Amino acid sequence: MPKSQFLDPAELRKSGAIKFKDIPVNAYDRTIEQERNNFSDEELVRIYHDMAVIREFESMLNSIKTAGSYNGIEYAYPGPAHLSIGQEAAAVGQALILDKDDFIFGSHRSHGEIIAKAFSCIEKMADAELEAIMTGYMESKVLRACESFKGFNDFGVKEKARFFFLYGALAEIFAKDTGFSRGLGGSMHAFFVPFGIYPSNAIVGGSADIALGAALYKKVNREKGIVIANIGDASLGCGPVWEAIMFSTMDQFKKLWKGEYGGGLPLLFNFFNNQYGMGGQTCGETMGYGILARAGAGVNPEQMHAERVDGFNPLAVIECMRRKYEILKKKEGPVLLDVLTYRYCGHSPSDSSTYRTPEEVKAWQDADPLITYRQELVDAGIFTHDKAEEMLEAIRRQVTEVVKLAVDEKVSPRVSLEANPDAIEELMFSNKKVAKLSGRKPEVLQSKEDNPRVHQIARKARFYLGEDGKPVSKNRVYQLRDGIFEALLDKFYEDPTLIAYGEDNRDWGGAFAVYRGLTEALPYHRLFNASISEGAIVGSAVGYALAGGRAVVELMYFDFLGRAGDEVFNQLSKWQAMTAGQLKMPVVLRVSAGSKYGAQHSQDWTALCAHIPGLKVVFPATPYDAKGLMAAALNGTDPVVFIESQRIYDVPEMFHEGGVPEGSYEIEIGEPDVKLVGSDVTILTVGATLYRTVEAAKMLKDKYGVSAEIIDARSIVPFNYEKVIESVKKTGKIVLTADACRRNSVLKEMASSITEMCFYYLDAPPVVVGAKNWITPAFELEKYFFPQPEWIIDAIHQKIMPLKGHVPRTPFTTAEMIRANKKGV
Amino acid sequence: MAEAVIMPRQGQTVESCIITKWHKKEGDEVKAGDLLFTYETDKSTFDEEAKVEGYVLKIFYDEDDDVPCLETVCIIGQKGEDISKFLKKERKAIPAAPEKEQAQAAAPAVEGGQRADEGATSYIKISRRAKNLAEKLGIDYSKAIPTGAEGRIIERDIEALASDGVLALRERAADAKEAPATPEKFVYAPAVPAQAPSYVDEKISNMRKTIARAMMNSLQTTAQLTHTASFDATEILEFRKKIKPLSEKGELNNITINDIIMFVVSRVLKRHRAFNAHMLGDTIRYYSDVNLAMAVDTPRGLMVPVCFNADKKSLNQLAGELKALASECQKGTISPDLLSGGSFTVSNLGIYGTESFTPILNAPQTGILGVGCVVTRVREAEGQLKPYPCMTLSLTYDHRAVDGAGAAKFLQDICKSLENFTVTLATN
Repeated sequence: MPKSQFLDPAELRKSGAIKFKDIPVNAYDRTIEQERNNFSDEELVRIYHDMAVIREFESMLNSIKTAGSYNGIEYAYPGPAHLSIGQEAAAVGQALILDKDDFIFGSHRSHGEIIAKAFSCIEKMADAELEAIMTGYMESKVLRACESFKGFNDFGVKEKARFFFLYGALAEIFAKDTGFSRGLGGSMHAFFVPFGIYPSNAIVGGSADIALGAALYKKVNREKGIVIANIGDASLGCGPVWEAIMFSTMDQFKKLWKGEYGGGLPLLFNFFNNQYGMGGQTCGETMGYGILARAGAGVNPEQMHAERVDGFNPLAVIECMRRKYEILKKKEGPVLLDVLTYRYCGHSPSDSSTYRTPEEVKAWQDADPLITYRQELVDAGIFTHDKAEEMLEAIRRQVTEVVKLAVDEKVSPRVSLEANPDAIEELMFSNKKVAKLSGRKPEVLQSKEDNPRVHQIARKARFYLGEDGKPVSKNRVYQLRDGIFEALLDKFYEDPTLIAYGEDNRDWGGAFAVYRGLTEALPYHRLFNASISEGAIVGSAVGYALAGGRAVVELMYFDFLGRAGDEVFNQLSKWQAMTAGQLKMPVVLRVSAGSKYGAQHSQDWTALCAHIPGLKVVFPATPYDAKGLMAAALNGTDPVVFIESQRIYDVPEMFHEGGVPEGSYEIEIGEPDVKLVGSDVTILTVGATLYRTVEAAKMLKDKYGVSAEIIDARSIVPFNYEKVIESVKKTGKIVLTADACRRNSVLKEMASSITEMCFYYLDAPPVVVGAKNWITPAFELEKYFFPQPEWIIDAIHQKIMPLKGHVPRTPFTTAEMIRANKKGV
Repeated sequence: MAEAVIMPRQGQTVESCIITKWHKKEGDEVKAGDLLFTYETDKSTFDEEAKVEGYVLKIFYDEDDDVPCLETVCIIGQKGEDISKFLKKERKAIPAAPEKEQAQAAAPAVEGGQRADEGATSYIKISRRAKNLAEKLGIDYSKAIPTGAEGRIIERDIEALASDGVLALRERAADAKEAPATPEKFVYAPAVPAQAPSYVDEKISNMRKTIARAMMNSLQTTAQLTHTASFDATEILEFRKKIKPLSEKGELNNITINDIIMFVVSRVLKRHRAFNAHMLGDTIRYYSDVNLAMAVDTPRGLMVPVCFNADKKSLNQLAGELKALASECQKGTISPDLLSGGSFTVSNLGIYGTESFTPILNAPQTGILGVGCVVTRVREAEGQLKPYPCMTLSLTYDHRAVDGAGAAKFLQDICKSLENFTVTLATN
């Protein structure tokens, strides 16, 4: 909603027509003779060589999967092998012009792409650099494994590097500790960052929005190179791929981002179009685009520079890549490329190709670039068949030696969970504290002191009671939203890589006014409005962090998390451990639990996030905790789901003596806080129910003489139970309460854990007071849905200890639990 | 090798027993089969005999100590033997609550309901935390008044029991009800006795206490009253005469008049389910089987063994089983598990010549039948007075559970079934 752009009805209501440009299809028409002006003969032969290596590598995997052996080496490999036999020309053609500063993100079928990219980098890199990479990678673990092959040390550096790469990739596929990711990624996720090869993704189209984030990183941090999302034709049916396309083509990059930050993203959506999504034929059955490149036409006036290129001709792909690279360099991206290809093998070795005819496969095999391109080279007098056979024999020997090493249990052991049972556990979080991820000066538009929000906050009381001991009025008191703002503002002035985006973040200041004042402080490239693309918002943050930056993204309502399901549950949470800790994920995902707005705007989905391993989850309920936890999340290197509640953005600090400090401080993630000391019953709260619990505690004391101890969980993952256990040892009784629906809520998990850990001390079962297992009704009916102070008292009365004279109104009896569970409510 | 003698567990529900008498003291020589000590549960008395020879090296518990089951009570071995391994653990009898002999007060008025050891459930609802504390203090938590939710004993109940004792708790519970009106005061003229009264104070047995408690509980917590009716016993007496030779030959058990009455009651109860039931305050628990209890006089006092599933047993079976139950009660060897769980009780004082009496309900059962002796009465038939054998039955019932008409009909049904015993036998 920038005011600088006027939506003029006179202009917008005029009649007219949208004009489309032609989208080139297989436009390449050079002969090999012509190309000899562009390539050395050696280069032309190397293209054949790299294709042949990929073919041999994947044929080897196919042989091991289907026959249990390769070249006499027996090995049982139970894992996945999604092969791209037939697609080699497309991969090698793409990679030839790329170097280590160009990032590729792949799919489940990316062995070919990573080998091609690696070999291309190796060719371009100096020997010393290659040696440093091999020595430095994972403390030489991969290199040492390679060296146990006797011939390795006789190789030249580039040959060593190629052997090293093939071994590291295969060891990774075979889940070995000496693989590039210690075997924790596996076949579908092989990567090697020193060559600009980023993790491949087993979720179809998963790399689209992650690559978008990496491109965003390159742009914001002015780094060299382009980013390629290598995804398949079938992924065009995936919402997040479209979200990435729409996000990446937002007008603001070219119209609103200023100076050197202006212009299109250096991003290539590269569709390796092998014409099948498993067995679904995309052209003719599961899509309607006819030719995939058409998809670019409707996206933006540049039509995404879309083009179809013949992926069976490596020279055609190279020629096209060169042109597209120039477009990206000129900041006119993103680009959409439809690289036509074909896989001869099945989707996986268990695929019996019931969806296509042998004639079709045969026809494409006749056009196999490994035959046709070689023939062209021979015809042009560049190469001979004898030399080609000699080359293939050498490749076979090389691959054989690689396989020998990779299957050798001594050279290539697995991560030992016997010797170190915590080996994977240690990788779930990086738990680092890094104040800034780059040394350069953060770009801001004004000094902190000039910020209007900072001025406003300066006039506010930082504790809920004034000097007269009376509560300060809402407009004059520091609120929870101010706490989040202050922590963020501090970090924006410290870490130049920090960016924040989401829906209505700029100008509006976020739907709940947390970001008010940030628009004045930050240029567009550090704070901007994203398209309503929750998947791409989170996915791009993942890519931004993998590439080396820090991002805070916001989903406005917790209920919108479903739209970013894959990005939160499969991407944000997984990549630190899947890269064996090599990549970090400093992302804060802000979500806001609502109320008043009905069934799709009032849910608390904490349990969904807490269930997924690899995410930290916090839910502060006071300004002091919000500021301290946000600071901790921002200083950390782990993904943190930062849950807020719209009921309490305006609460003042009521618990922390002296109010919210002005300076920066951290609250350790995972530590609950005793908000009220008591002796008779413990009440553990998650989020906004803290305040209803305070009311309940007052009633308990005044009416029934019961002294309640209130513990605010503050964090859900990680969570230190020690304070809770201490409290239960004292009181013997505990009630847990939060606004989430009761069934399978985090409270249930906590209640179960407390029962296990405190069984000996419990005087009654832990009782969960959550919301009903219903849709959230209208605001006027919410008191029947969300936990109320009276419910807490009713629960104590019915499940823990009868309170004299109390007449319960909400049933918490066993009979009620049986009834409700029987009905599924 | 010294051996430990443990307090046996008599029945699944027994957690401790009281040693009532030691027959040996430390240093005494014992032979296998010698009586070591006598002990009792709240329902029966047992003797423990020595199983090995030797000397009583150590006695851990005194008479009147309440000893947890399976605890070591004494050590038998050879003189001078090392018994230190038995001494490591501190042994602690369950302290007797001084108010034990007090009659049980009414159910506490505190929300939370029943006393923990009441009701048909065989386990006591107690939180783990409260149990820990009870164990630590060595307190019998079954005496605690539960104030937790769902009738659960919680920590504070054990604390209250420990500091105030049972009596105070019950008073407190009773106070929660309405305070009784101050009784009217009577003034008696003092009369100095000619000589100091002579008496003996004897501590009553544990079993006497149990009986006292049960009786007071029954009278204080139920709305009981008694109907009486008599019936013509001609047919049952003749029946008995007829089968007596068979019993003497051993072909049948000795079937007594009492057995016949028990048999009839077990059948008639099936038609009057309100009497084959427990009154549990808010609910009435109707039993599908007849678990017929029988009052038995024993040297230690009244015992009430139960014949389970009496309605499914033949008269002959029933006679055999009732005899065995009575005999085990007399000997004191009855399993405590057979001393609870009855759904209706029959008490026969006829053998002592009592014609009729008002039996006290075996709460929470809803009824009890008192059986008197046979007397000859006359009645008018065809203008003449004719003698006939007559027996009187007294039915005490809980008016909370059953109304008078229902009781009258039940009693009538029993009388009719006895008067037409041949038909009863044929149809049941």
